Amino acid sequence: MKRLIRLGIAALVSAATATGALAAEWTPPGPIKLLIAFRAGGGADTQARLIAEELENRLGWKFIPEQVTGKGGMNMAAALKDMPNDGTVIGMAVTETFGYNMAAAPKSGMSPADFTGLSTTAGFQMGVVALSSKGWTSFEDVVAAAKGGEELRFGAMSPRLADLAYLLGKAQGVDFNIVSVKGGKAVMDGVNAGDLDLGFMAGIQQKGVAAGDLVNLASALSAPLVQTPDAPTFADLGVEFDSDGQFVFVGPAGMPAEAREALANAIAEVASDENTKAGGLIKKNFGGATVVTGDDLTVLLQNGYESAGKLLDAASE
Amino acid sequence: MGALDYIWAGVLAVFLGPELFSVFGVPVPVTIVMIFAGFFLGIAVGATPGLAGPIAMAIALPILISIFGYTPDALLPVMGFLIGVMKGATIGGAVPAILFNTPGTPDAYMTTLDGYPMTQKGQAKKALRVAHLSSVTGDTFSDMVLFICAPFLALLVEGYLDLPEKTALLILSLSFIAAVIGGSPAKGLISTGLGLLFAYVGTGEDFYPRLSMDSKVLAQGFPLATAILGVLIVGAVFKELTDLWREKRESGLLAGTIEDSGDQRLHMREIRRLVPYIGRSAVIGTAIGALPGIGSTLAATIGYTVGKARYQRTKSPEAPDFGKGAPEGIAATEAANSSVSGANLIPVLSLGIPGNAAAVFLILAADSIGGFNPGPSVFRFTADAVNPELVIAFGLFTAMLIANLLNWTIGGVFMRSMGIMTRIPKQVLLPTVLLLTLTAIYVQETRMEAIWFTLGFGLLGYVMRVVAISPLPFVIAFILGGKLEESARQAFAATGGDPWFLFTHPIAAVFMALSVGVILLTARNNRVRASRASA
Amino acid sequence: MSHDSRSNLILGICFAAFALLLIFIWIPFDTDTGLIEKVRRQITIGDALAPTVAGIFLLLGGLILILFERNAPDQPEVDPVNLGFMAVVFVLLAASFLVMRYGGPAVVALVNLSRETPLEYRLLRDSAPWKYTGFFFGGTLMIGGLISLVEGRITLRAVLIGIVAVLAMIAVYDLPFDDLLLPPNGDV
Repeated sequence: MKRLIRLGIAALVSAATATGALAAEWTPPGPIKLLIAFRAGGGADTQARLIAEELENRLGWKFIPEQVTGKGGMNMAAALKDMPNDGTVIGMAVTETFGYNMAAAPKSGMSPADFTGLSTTAGFQMGVVALSSKGWTSFEDVVAAAKGGEELRFGAMSPRLADLAYLLGKAQGVDFNIVSVKGGKAVMDGVNAGDLDLGFMAGIQQKGVAAGDLVNLASALSAPLVQTPDAPTFADLGVEFDSDGQFVFVGPAGMPAEAREALANAIAEVASDENTKAGGLIKKNFGGATVVTGDDLTVLLQNGYESAGKLLDAASE
Repeated sequence: MGALDYIWAGVLAVFLGPELFSVFGVPVPVTIVMIFAGFFLGIAVGATPGLAGPIAMAIALPILISIFGYTPDALLPVMGFLIGVMKGATIGGAVPAILFNTPGTPDAYMTTLDGYPMTQKGQAKKALRVAHLSSVTGDTFSDMVLFICAPFLALLVEGYLDLPEKTALLILSLSFIAAVIGGSPAKGLISTGLGLLFAYVGTGEDFYPRLSMDSKVLAQGFPLATAILGVLIVGAVFKELTDLWREKRESGLLAGTIEDSGDQRLHMREIRRLVPYIGRSAVIGTAIGALPGIGSTLAATIGYTVGKARYQRTKSPEAPDFGKGAPEGIAATEAANSSVSGANLIPVLSLGIPGNAAAVFLILAADSIGGFNPGPSVFRFTADAVNPELVIAFGLFTAMLIANLLNWTIGGVFMRSMGIMTRIPKQVLLPTVLLLTLTAIYVQETRMEAIWFTLGFGLLGYVMRVVAISPLPFVIAFILGGKLEESARQAFAATGGDPWFLFTHPIAAVFMALSVGVILLTARNNRVRASRASA
Repeated sequence: MSHDSRSNLILGICFAAFALLLIFIWIPFDTDTGLIEKVRRQITIGDALAPTVAGIFLLLGGLILILFERNAPDQPEVDPVNLGFMAVVFVLLAASFLVMRYGGPAVVALVNLSRETPLEYRLLRDSAPWKYTGFFFGGTLMIGGLISLVEGRITLRAVLIGIVAVLAMIAVYDLPFDDLLLPPNGDV
């Protein structure tokens, strides 16, 4: 049914442009380069590529995906910043890149103002996760173990999460050995292999938790986890910060309004449609799409950048 | 469900999976077709100088996922294809090493040492037969070990290796490589140091890309492909071009292609002579493959070194030395590097930790498609409910067996048919290989800087060859550099900032002692040899 | 190979000097965190440590060459004539890749001379035949040039081989795959 409606809309739109009545119609002047800040073949990369593929099928636009990885999306952002802003170059990263990472690296000379936010696609289901075989059923058990003299290794895949892990320990009166690893998959590998005792996972824990191998001990979000609503949030545990974050598509600063709107709407629509491969993937891993566009997104990115300073200060005390 | 039921279910998943088409009413399952397709692509890609299995896998994976989608049904066809590529490329990889002296992968480098001299003596086909026999034997042996040991061994190994031990193990690998390869420990250390240094440019924990001199070009670091293909392939091409040009200037003529001469077949008598080398190397490769994080290059090196030691004791005086065209050298290398791939899947399947590039792509496939979460849960033999991941695991074993069967039956013929490429004159082939390599890198990296990097690494590889520094420690150090730093950081943080973490854990301390020992021992041996030479 | 060659000594001095430069100048000035640093009340390994270890490898290698392997047998001799040839090869390669990079835009600029609405190569980088222009000219120059260089004369045959090889590569990389980009189309 949805598809029919969409076809109908497409037909209407093309009829309208034929008469020149609809000014909002925008088509890219050439192929669109899509800079992806994640390693090829991973879940995030796949999501970006599938969205591009679906847009190619629906709208006849041409996408050229390209990997620009490293430094928590900062390399991608640096590459994107000086590209033409006519809608022929966009990028995909996480909101953390434009918030914490830019705030923590003032030398890079970048801020969210250098970019045009297009749309978010999905929010992380960031939990503090451990193996069920550890025997912990709640976060209190972890604190008890730490207070009992056990040295606990806490895996984090970004500096922001490492700060949060530190503040979590501080709030609970324990010291974690915070181990920085590269990527969420590495945290899961470490936990599974016993190299780490617990760690942050942003959605990949879903299957393991469902199977009973892993357990969500806490939600690192401002809201409870969809899968384990009983797990306490960071606020419950006495940490005034959270790890809320989304995948986000952006362009260089100063994109024309019609290009921004057309791209943002197209991406948001694909991400929210569970019948597409991209939407299906998002539904499977993150429980559904989280779409923020337009001015709301501009505010979201700017807020993330400004509030990151407080987290940085708190963690460096 | 019992263990046997699981194995049978895995076999059925391959043969009774979704059918692609039917021949005379007999359905042809899509997984089988994909294994075939991957296998032939793998041989062709492995045999093409400048291409290698990982490149083919990297290009194929997004395409395969687009075709098969994100259902658990997609796992076996996609991973079957990748396994096919892996197996095909393993035997195909020996072809350019033997015929053109250009290893397509770092682990084929040792194959060039005896393979190319045999080609120069007109024994190319025979060298290829030795490579095929050793490779397939090693591979099959390794697969058997995988099937039998996977559930037990992986958990055992991981149980004893914590982060400090893993760091120490990486250090041991590096010092072994530096000491053993390249003839002189000093040059080995330099080669290793350079590899580490290049691996550390632009990387690191901090947001400022270190050693990038504030340039955006260096901020992303050097892509793995540019360093490996640059030093190994482009460097070799430069060296060959120079030699060719010299030859032409001095003799006024370019050497024609080398005609095959003498008996190219492999006789039972010769096979019997090769068996001990193949056997030892297969065991070495399998043992190394089972350790997470250590790849086939080390296996090839150790296999070759151990083979060499035995050969010097037992060879007949008129037989060629290792490095001068001894079939035993090829056998020792190929059996070792091929036997890594099977055992390598032990940590991959049960822990999700890859030991080589091919395994990385299998993990990526499992990760992207979903429904198969490499980790301890895979080998849980649940009795009441079916554990679908275990069925997939046995399905993958079946796919490997099918690929091995292809390997034994038609792999050798197909591989040797690639020998047609020796007919192409070198001055035509070398520039073409160069452009093909650079294009392949560009297609992966899509930026012109990658080509400049590769040419730069090519120049470095050329200079290293000129001053007799082996490029192999460079490449291995480049690959392991990131892992070494990461695991050291993690071990340091995990032990709560214990600066002596490498020495306070008994197993790690043993590895460290071995690292120092191996360097001292080779240095002493070299001194003894040097004083004998000058006496 | 000769006993008189001093290449090990020269090599050792070069690498030891480079290693000192690396450890004491390049690394301290070009990394933001030191050997170790303190974050979140925890001592962690900084970004300078790993490259310093690499530098120590180089220094050790250089020193062993100077002190112990200075008189080693089988030292290679470097032939300046060969290096000259490599320099020529490099000039040719650089020229080829510059042609590859800028050939397409140059052709578009030529075409624009006779057009009212100018074209832009960036927007044409995914349309045949434009997307092949740079790769075709640069690749042909490289292969044809290298063959001619080794053979010591420029022949039509060398150019034709170049053309055939380049066309074959276009067929392998570009035709079956929609997403792959030939050089230089990812840069423009």
